Amino acid sequence: MEKAHISRSQKLAGDRQIRRQTAGFGNPARANCDLPRIGVFVCHCGNNIGGVVRVPEVVEYARTLPDVAYAEDNMYSCSEEGLSSIKESIVRHKLNRVIVASCTPRTHEPLFKRACEEAGLNKYLFEFVNIREHCSWIHMHAPDEATEKAKALVRMGVAKARYLEPQEEFQSDVYPAALVIGGGVAGMTAALNLANQGFVVHLVEREAELGGLLRGVNKVFPTYEDAGEFLAPLIQQVENHPRITTYLRSEVESVEGFIGHFQVRVTNGHREAEFEVGTVIVATGAQEFKPYGYYGYPMLPNVVTPLELEEMLKKGFEFPRNVVMINCVGARIAERPYCGRFCCTAALKNAVLIKERDPRAKVYILQRDVMAYGEHIERHYRRAMELGVRFIRYSLDRPPEVVGVRQAREVKVFHQLIGKELTLPADLVVLVTPLVPQPDSEKLSRMLKVPRGSEGFFLEAHLKLRPIEFATDGIYLCGSARYPSNIIESVSQAYAASAKAATPMRQGFVQVEAITAFSDEHLCTGCGTCVLVCPFSAIELRVGENGQKSWVNATQCKGCGSCVAACPNGAMQQRGFTDRQVLSMVEALVSS
Amino acid sequence: MQDPVQRVREIAGQLLTGGQVDGVLGLCEQHGGVGPCLFRGEDDLSSLVLEPKYPLANVCKLIQARYPNGRLGVIVRGCDERALIEMAKREQVDLDKLALIGLACTEAQAVECRCRHPYPQRIDVGERVEGVAPTVDENVRKLLEQGFNERLAFWHHEFSKCIKCYGCRNACPVCICEECILEDELWVQPGVVPPDYAAFQFIRAYHISDKCIGCGECEAACPMDIPLTRLYALVRETVRELFDYEAGADVAAPSPLVTTLEETPLLEVGER
Amino acid sequence: MEKSADGFKPKILAFCCNWCSYAGADLAGVSRLQMPSDFRVIRVMCSARVSPEWVIKALAGGVDGVMVLGCHIGDCHYISGNHRAKKRFALLKEMLGYLGINPARLYVDWVSASEGARFQQIVTEFVETVKELGPHHGPEG
Repeated sequence: MEKAHISRSQKLAGDRQIRRQTAGFGNPARANCDLPRIGVFVCHCGNNIGGVVRVPEVVEYARTLPDVAYAEDNMYSCSEEGLSSIKESIVRHKLNRVIVASCTPRTHEPLFKRACEEAGLNKYLFEFVNIREHCSWIHMHAPDEATEKAKALVRMGVAKARYLEPQEEFQSDVYPAALVIGGGVAGMTAALNLANQGFVVHLVEREAELGGLLRGVNKVFPTYEDAGEFLAPLIQQVENHPRITTYLRSEVESVEGFIGHFQVRVTNGHREAEFEVGTVIVATGAQEFKPYGYYGYPMLPNVVTPLELEEMLKKGFEFPRNVVMINCVGARIAERPYCGRFCCTAALKNAVLIKERDPRAKVYILQRDVMAYGEHIERHYRRAMELGVRFIRYSLDRPPEVVGVRQAREVKVFHQLIGKELTLPADLVVLVTPLVPQPDSEKLSRMLKVPRGSEGFFLEAHLKLRPIEFATDGIYLCGSARYPSNIIESVSQAYAASAKAATPMRQGFVQVEAITAFSDEHLCTGCGTCVLVCPFSAIELRVGENGQKSWVNATQCKGCGSCVAACPNGAMQQRGFTDRQVLSMVEALVSS
Repeated sequence: MQDPVQRVREIAGQLLTGGQVDGVLGLCEQHGGVGPCLFRGEDDLSSLVLEPKYPLANVCKLIQARYPNGRLGVIVRGCDERALIEMAKREQVDLDKLALIGLACTEAQAVECRCRHPYPQRIDVGERVEGVAPTVDENVRKLLEQGFNERLAFWHHEFSKCIKCYGCRNACPVCICEECILEDELWVQPGVVPPDYAAFQFIRAYHISDKCIGCGECEAACPMDIPLTRLYALVRETVRELFDYEAGADVAAPSPLVTTLEETPLLEVGER
Repeated sequence: MEKSADGFKPKILAFCCNWCSYAGADLAGVSRLQMPSDFRVIRVMCSARVSPEWVIKALAGGVDGVMVLGCHIGDCHYISGNHRAKKRFALLKEMLGYLGINPARLYVDWVSASEGARFQQIVTEFVETVKELGPHHGPEG
């Protein structure tokens, strides 16, 4: 790839100028090369604006501005009357730009844009000027100043309007199939929910069987159903469903594309499968933290993790008399500050199980706060206490000590509340550890271009407003992949994620608002800064006839403009917020 | 201690005869002066010199653009290497096709350039000397002691001398835009000299703020002796203080202005 | 520092992001919170769109003060747009200082859609600050 130039100074100045002129905004939809004929409609909004701002004066002023072909005032621009007047004026005065100076665009902008369209004008040739919330309502006692400000704002709006360009919104179609990564309870629930709505689902599971972490569990909380019996119908439904294709012992090798058209490759080591989907659900779950080096694990054979305890309970052998559970092992510490959320629940579950099986058993739970939220878990906590499970609070700066050489014999703990060290006999020590991210979560995050939080779990788009999707459109998230979740939470999230995924698939398309960024090949240097800045990974460098240049995927672009501000020479611009448009507004302010 | 020039010639010769490179880029005496030279054979090396300092990074980029498959040896001072690293970050050079011959600067050279790192990452020739802070320069100290109005007056005076020759931009290795914003009539009015310097000088200063590697070529190129490095050295210090980031240190480290706050935090005043 | 003469009407530009600060300004309006009229808002989708070059041009062109108001860190509608804005303007402020433009003329802050009162407070204070700083003569003298 040879660069055509030798050095900047050797380029012809004229050549460069021509390139800059034709480059402009680089938007081929620049159909309207006529001189702007701007129409300005100033609204009284009853008394809301008209009671403070001298609207007729603002109209008069607007008429004096260059390129303003027509100006009028309306009592209520958004009323039937007001909208008709705007539409008629567009036609009668051959207006090719429209400005409405009234309230905030966040309320009525779509209304006025539609009116423009109905009058035959592209709706992106419309600009809103806010002289109510940002003017008359906040300067109620200064009508002179408010009027001057309204004039200045109209002037700025006119300055921008001169450089508005028609835009086309496009619809991007969505293929009605989904990829669900992970065949645990979350993944299976999501897959079934989608398949039952008529969508094809590809469910990819790394292990030889479906079921995820639940396969290793004995009884589920709080019903004490056998976990295997709980899972069986779910697994059967998934395996027998005509629209679900299950890939066992398989991993996702690559996912390319974007919402509506993800190209997926799955491999099981021997064969590969390729297919297309419209949406992706990440339900990869998490893994148990193995506390190597903590409290004699794994050397001492009777020091176990919760899943190892579940295994023992499933086998159902003779149960030890003295059980000591140590909570928060490897959780809520400097290296891993989060709470595992349901490990206390699981510990309580098994403590009660052991005590009910053998009331003479001595069960101790060494804890640093018991997370027993909600109704069931709190009730279980009380039940445990009633059954004689002893809760001993310990502090992180004086952790318990497991004593024993070939196996654990006792546990010494400094009881934080009574201030004494206790020695507890122990036949079995359970180290209650949290779930941690899967080892391949980094690989998956890079493959899908979705972020992970500081703990290594996947990061949702917004903690409160968008908790089960990623910022990247078309990819959703549920279960412990997002954060350690119990069954109820995982299932709810799976329903939510699949409902979200169903929306674009059912509609068949996604509409892209035309405020996206675009790169001008003639100006772009291919430095790649924009690629790094984009929070949505919507930009890539592509090799074309002019060399390596940036290219914006308008379907992924959300229109934030980060790339535009990062681009050093203006090659990247944002439709509706170009440098030229904004600078002309600044200029209009300075000269007023 | 071996004469640095001899040592460089030796190393360059080894690279050439060993077939590791197709040519070595350095300086040679020519036409009574010193300029960049591409040494192809061991014999040419007798004319190789090391001084005065010359921005070889730009030449390197031009050669690679023309001959993308050629392997090039380059004699690099600290700033040359940093320039190449910043260029590589922006897809302008291919570091894999370069064999760097690291040349450390002398103490006198470090003070003259007000350089914090007068040495490349691997020193093949010369002895490492410690860098200096920009405030070693009395003029920088004076500027910092002045109030805003005085500073503005100072820069007004200096920037009014500008004849818009674009020498600073052309010489700068990290100014890589093929179409430069300073030649865009939207930002800088054509035909006006001196240019409106808020548009010209301030914008250029901001653009190179996270890329400036302190080579000083801008000031060396300026025919009007505008003390550009006095400003840029301060901006570089600010970037160091705000983000604990230095341009040209690590090709894998993106500019802090491009990353999120998690990736490159903005250091609070207490942390700086 | 000149004390403002009576009648100095500063020209202040406020870049507000669509999702947070612009909405916060709207709320201030809806709540009829009164404030000085010397500022003009330019709407952008995200504070990340605000090019520092605009601010440079504005301050050079005769604008006496510039505000850049975005979402609180962590709340950006575009996830991390305001991260870039924060860093860019922290750097720009220092740079302006070296060049002799009082960095106090550039005000960067974060206002959520629900913080109408905060918007009022911020704007009122900044207008006062700029009035005290006096007219900005810009680099041209």
